[in-house]
Amino acid sequence: MNGKDQDTAVLCRSVTKAYVTGPTKVMALRGVDLEVRMGELLMLAGPSGCGKTTLISVVAGILDHDEGECLVFQEDLRAMDQTRKTRFRGRNVGFVFQTYNLLPTLTAVENVSVPLLLSGHSRADAQSMAKEILVLVGLEERPHALPAQLSGGQQQRVAIARALVHRPRLIVCDEPTSALDADTGQKVMEVLRNTALAEDRAVIIVTHDNRIFNFADRIARMEDGRITSVESQVPH
Amino acid sequence: MYSIALKMLIGDRGKYLGIIMGLTFASLLITQQSSIFTGLMTRTYGTITDLSQPDIWVMDPKVQFIDDVKPLQDTELFRIRSIEGVKWAVPLYKGLLKARLADGNYQICNVLGLDDATLIGGPPFMIEGTLSDLRQQDSIIVNDVGARTRLAKPPKVRGGKPEPLKIGDTLEINDHRAVVVGICRVSRTFQSQPVIFTTYTRATTFAPRERKLLSFVLVKARPDENLQALCERIRRRTGLAAYTAQAFKDLTYNYFMKYTGIPINFGIAVALGFIIGTAIAGQTFYNFTLENMRYFGTLKAMGATNYVLLRMILLQALLVGVLGYGLGVGGAAVFGYTLGGTALSFRLTKDLLIFSGSAISLICVLSALISIRKVMRLEPALVFKG
Repeated sequence: MNGKDQDTAVLCRSVTKAYVTGPTKVMALRGVDLEVRMGELLMLAGPSGCGKTTLISVVAGILDHDEGECLVFQEDLRAMDQTRKTRFRGRNVGFVFQTYNLLPTLTAVENVSVPLLLSGHSRADAQSMAKEILVLVGLEERPHALPAQLSGGQQQRVAIARALVHRPRLIVCDEPTSALDADTGQKVMEVLRNTALAEDRAVIIVTHDNRIFNFADRIARMEDGRITSVESQVPH
Repeated sequence: MYSIALKMLIGDRGKYLGIIMGLTFASLLITQQSSIFTGLMTRTYGTITDLSQPDIWVMDPKVQFIDDVKPLQDTELFRIRSIEGVKWAVPLYKGLLKARLADGNYQICNVLGLDDATLIGGPPFMIEGTLSDLRQQDSIIVNDVGARTRLAKPPKVRGGKPEPLKIGDTLEINDHRAVVVGICRVSRTFQSQPVIFTTYTRATTFAPRERKLLSFVLVKARPDENLQALCERIRRRTGLAAYTAQAFKDLTYNYFMKYTGIPINFGIAVALGFIIGTAIAGQTFYNFTLENMRYFGTLKAMGATNYVLLRMILLQALLVGVLGYGLGVGGAAVFGYTLGGTALSFRLTKDLLIFSGSAISLICVLSALISIRKVMRLEPALVFKG
């Protein structure tokens, strides 16, 4: 493994994925090439149905691609069996979802504890670490609130805390601001950029919300299952 | 993760209570109906249970159950007494005779005639009087339920309560005078007629004249005698049927199981409880899983293996199963306790608790399996679908 490999979080080469429903075959990815580096926040942008979500699903190891190669931290996820892949995700990937996906019957701190419990931490340890990370996202005053008692922005911050708590090396976010108003979206992105991004971590955000493009290091634009351009920029 | 599994379940109050109600209903119905069935079947051999002294019952080979009396010749008693291994053998008369009550009505009674010398086969518990009072002229002992209900005297005032039969009261049994000298308690019998104890000689006097009147011979084996071997010896030497008390209970029980509709009727009620319980609990549990599919997918994406999810669902099923079972069995026990003093036949045994527990476990496993199958096949990529 050379230094360049260690700088690369995700490396996709000619990745294809088709969804087959009966006689209908829809090509979601038509040979995607993509590299995501450590310490980088990359946004995947493009119109609905262009394959953004399929691509991060493949990268996050929750969907198998058909052809090509996709290495995440130099590991070929397609070569792993389901259990190994699940454990790999548990250790290395944090998720932030468009609709937060917080368990409605768990409090904020309990929701944040889940990845730690899954990786074998005791309940007390998990809750203690969860409280620390809630402080980081500015929710130290409401650790015992249920998701329904929190605003959309607060729920998304809990989701970010949950994605970070077990210190994964890759964070994937699917439309993290699309359910939020502009101001809240900006604040959530600030939290995400400030807390999630580190030298030993990469962040991939799928979005079509051009108001948050200024938070990205690079923006990869997709169209019809392909990456059409990758632009670098200095984030604000 | 166990606490999360439980919080997921308990947090959804409506479904949580729905599943528990389904299982409670199933548990209650299965336990209650089975207990009534067991109680009813226990009554079929109540007389054998009450007559605890003899080891062996000897009877006509065609007898199919306790009330199916096919009389023997009196001489059979002496043949049996002569068989090796028999410590003692006494006659027992058992028959249904008509008693004429004070108001002129007739009531069929179950009359038991005990050996005049020993009075073996008497009631297990005397409430008033003693068994030896049967040595008095025309004497009979009546069971308390019969004395209070079917043999009771008409009320003294119009619209009043019937007066229970008391010591000193008289009845006419087949035109013979009979004087009550004792009140006893016996196990309820299947047909629930009043039970009257008297001596063998007096019972055969009460009974209509027949050539043969000996119903059963009750045998006590010598100490250390093998009961099965003695039964076989009696069969071989007399050509009669000989059963241990337990074997005679089984014969009676099997007759009622085979030739009456009781097992089918109760079986249908129990099956209905099982099916409805499975339908309600299974459906609600499945709906609960379906509604939580997004969260199971989220857990899967975050690193929960199928094994972890399997344990979570099984724990949820276990919790509702234990609660539903406990509430159902508790309800059935309260039902039995509350109606204990009535004519209800209710017998909740350890075996029945195991039976209903197994049925509820099966319902939970079936309900959980449907959900588990769905969750196992769940693609975690679902979490990115809006």
